[in-house]
Amino acid sequence: MKNVLIVDDAAFMRMSIKMTLQKHGFNVVGEADNGKVAVEKYLELRPDLVTMDITMPEMTGIEALKEIVKNDPQANVIMVSAMGQEMLVKEAIISGAKSFVVKPFTEDTLIKVLDKFK
Amino acid sequence: MSMNYSGDSLLGMFLFETTQLLEQLEESILNTEHTSSFTQEDINEIFRIMHTIKGSAAMMQYHNVSKLAHALEDLFDYLRSEENVEIDYSALTDLVFANVDFINEQIGKIEEGATEDDDATELINANRDFLAKIKNEDKGQSSSGEANASGNGKAGDGLQAEKNANFKYSYKATIYFSEGCEMENIRAFGIINNLEEVAGDIKHIPEDLMASEAAEEIKSSGFRFVFNSNCTYVDIHQLLMQTIFLKELELEQVDTSGEAKSDSKTLEANQSQASNVEKNQEATMASDVKKGQEDTTRQKQAQRQRPNLTHQSIISVPVEKLDKLMDLMGEFVISEAMVTQNPDLVGLELPNFEKSALQLKKITKELQEVVMSIRMVPLSATFNKMKRIVRDMGKKLDKEVTLTILGEETEVDKNIIEHISDPLMHLVRNALDHGLETKEDRIKAGKPAVGNIKLEAKNVGSDVLIIVQDDGKGINKDSIIRKAKEKGLLKRPVESMSDKDIFNLILLPGFSTNENVTEYSGRGVGMDVVTKGIEAIGGSVSIDSIEHVGTAFTMKIPLTLAIVDGMNVSVGESIYTIPTMNIKEFFKPVLEDIIIDPDKNEMVIVRGECYPILRLHNAFKVDTDVTDFEDGIFIIVKHDQHTICLFVDRLIGQQQIVVKALPEYILRSKRVKGLAGCTLLGDGSISLIIDVSGLNDLL
Repeated sequence: MKNVLIVDDAAFMRMSIKMTLQKHGFNVVGEADNGKVAVEKYLELRPDLVTMDITMPEMTGIEALKEIVKNDPQANVIMVSAMGQEMLVKEAIISGAKSFVVKPFTEDTLIKVLDKFK
Repeated sequence: MSMNYSGDSLLGMFLFETTQLLEQLEESILNTEHTSSFTQEDINEIFRIMHTIKGSAAMMQYHNVSKLAHALEDLFDYLRSEENVEIDYSALTDLVFANVDFINEQIGKIEEGATEDDDATELINANRDFLAKIKNEDKGQSSSGEANASGNGKAGDGLQAEKNANFKYSYKATIYFSEGCEMENIRAFGIINNLEEVAGDIKHIPEDLMASEAAEEIKSSGFRFVFNSNCTYVDIHQLLMQTIFLKELELEQVDTSGEAKSDSKTLEANQSQASNVEKNQEATMASDVKKGQEDTTRQKQAQRQRPNLTHQSIISVPVEKLDKLMDLMGEFVISEAMVTQNPDLVGLELPNFEKSALQLKKITKELQEVVMSIRMVPLSATFNKMKRIVRDMGKKLDKEVTLTILGEETEVDKNIIEHISDPLMHLVRNALDHGLETKEDRIKAGKPAVGNIKLEAKNVGSDVLIIVQDDGKGINKDSIIRKAKEKGLLKRPVESMSDKDIFNLILLPGFSTNENVTEYSGRGVGMDVVTKGIEAIGGSVSIDSIEHVGTAFTMKIPLTLAIVDGMNVSVGESIYTIPTMNIKEFFKPVLEDIIIDPDKNEMVIVRGECYPILRLHNAFKVDTDVTDFEDGIFIIVKHDQHTICLFVDRLIGQQQIVVKALPEYILRSKRVKGLAGCTLLGDGSISLIIDVSGLNDLL
């Protein structure tokens, strides 16, 4: 079972991603509500997968992604973006994000992406 | 719903979080009002909040709310990217508030079971117009992204692989993405980004992946690209097949002459344009990264100023569960008393049992305190709502007002908060509308033009006082008396009334001193709404006022409703419980101190003060042998300004009691005055809880 770290500043999004993941046999090992905590948790938990929101206080998802990839170039980070964030997603991909989903996404969409890393 | 399982808890979370975010937003805007400007931090915060609401609402299929949040997000995105934009601060805050109100209204409707949100086109357009307006005024600086997009002409609709001696093979590929994956252009960019590790001379259509129409083009005609590589067809195929959301892949190897083996339909790509695009893209990316860096430094600066917000790990629990917990706690307290004070134990010497019982009692008390504290909520949220009311009303009435809030950290039971919100709002509106004078009148009276309203909360014993104080014109006693006479509300001779008694006339049903009914207060309902609301939770309201100086309304409310300390007393066969907080003292009566007036009213003198005596056995019509004062005991109880001396048979003891409402059938048949409820005692008998505030009427 793959271990996943969910990063999002919105508790609603964390909950909704968590429910989807648990339903599909992923193991949610941790949650973080900003980039800074995300980096700390990543280093501590070493999850197989990270879902990373982009717009967050303290440290954005992009900065956190860069930090994580710096420490673990093999990190599987999936960006969770919103419409209109094309530029940021592009930057994320350049910085080593493995893929992304766009809010609002369906259960299928999310699982399709994450299944690639199962 | 896109996530259609366990929808309830998700919906609950959505409503909860959105409400919280809106409150946070409202609060930060109100905090900006004294400087009349937004800091970068504020703008970022509003942007983030709208971004979150946009995403969550879209997930929950509330598309109108999502679109509205998106429009406001766009506006603040522009504000945070462009420095020195001239904005009409007041108009912008009004606009944001209008957005907040709309979303709040939708949240309310959804909470009540609405499945769809209302159309928000009007507001969305207002947001867009505002953005368009500031963009116009800010024409000097043009946004870099748009400049790039417009710089690209229509791309050619064919591709040709270049010859390159460094690579063995050339490929041509078309990829279709599955529907609904979104941002196809960025997914295409991801493919190219991956491909660059093993390939070179990559060219693609659409050429500019960041152009606004790129995603649409890929959706309709696929993403087409050519490249050179040393990898074999199988390897390349395998690599491309890993693409997430891949619906269809067409991959062909072309020979180095540039001709596709099977396909001859190729057009020359416009080389100069292609390189142009690349340059533009680089520029965009560079500026994007730079913008990101600027954002971080701005954010860091903001962090330093931000007050220390400690992140506790918090879970949200439905209030019903807390209510249930509280009920059970009540039962637990009763059961504990039933065990430790069990009649079977009378006369037994059980040292070990006593020890354990003592421990049980201690733990019960601790447990109860914890359960209570879980339910305690600071008043700050309720108080902060008043900021908005003061702001809006002040604007409408053209009165400048400073709202001072003190003791907002004071905590009261969640159920009580719900009851005081409306009375408090009423009092604040009243203070603004009737209390404070107009600017001109204030200046004439030699007061500062800006009025003051103070909202204060403090703990006093087991009560909380909430005070709404203004420095307005105060209450004119004569006009109150006149009005009370007109309405037939005056029951006692004016001479015998204290100032407080006169002010309290305002609180009677059907009283309203202001002749002008305004939009905000004095809608005929009057101040008795406040009294009723507060009395419903066992509190009281009092008024202090000095003419021309100001008025203060004080609401006294209990910290919690359910469990109180009480003193059990007996009258005949019955047991009554008096809330300890009302008891001033008790003593054996001394006959010399008792006076009987010509109307046969009994009174007692205690240290020079004279109090009326209420015989409980008379008041509640109970048979008892103890009718002589010498045989019983006096208890002085106080509620508000009223002090009464109760006469009971004997004291039983003090204990914590769980307040239970009187059964429906009793309430239905007869309104019982002077009783607040009942409780179960340790030996299983029932005790009636005395409502001290209601005793006056029994005298």
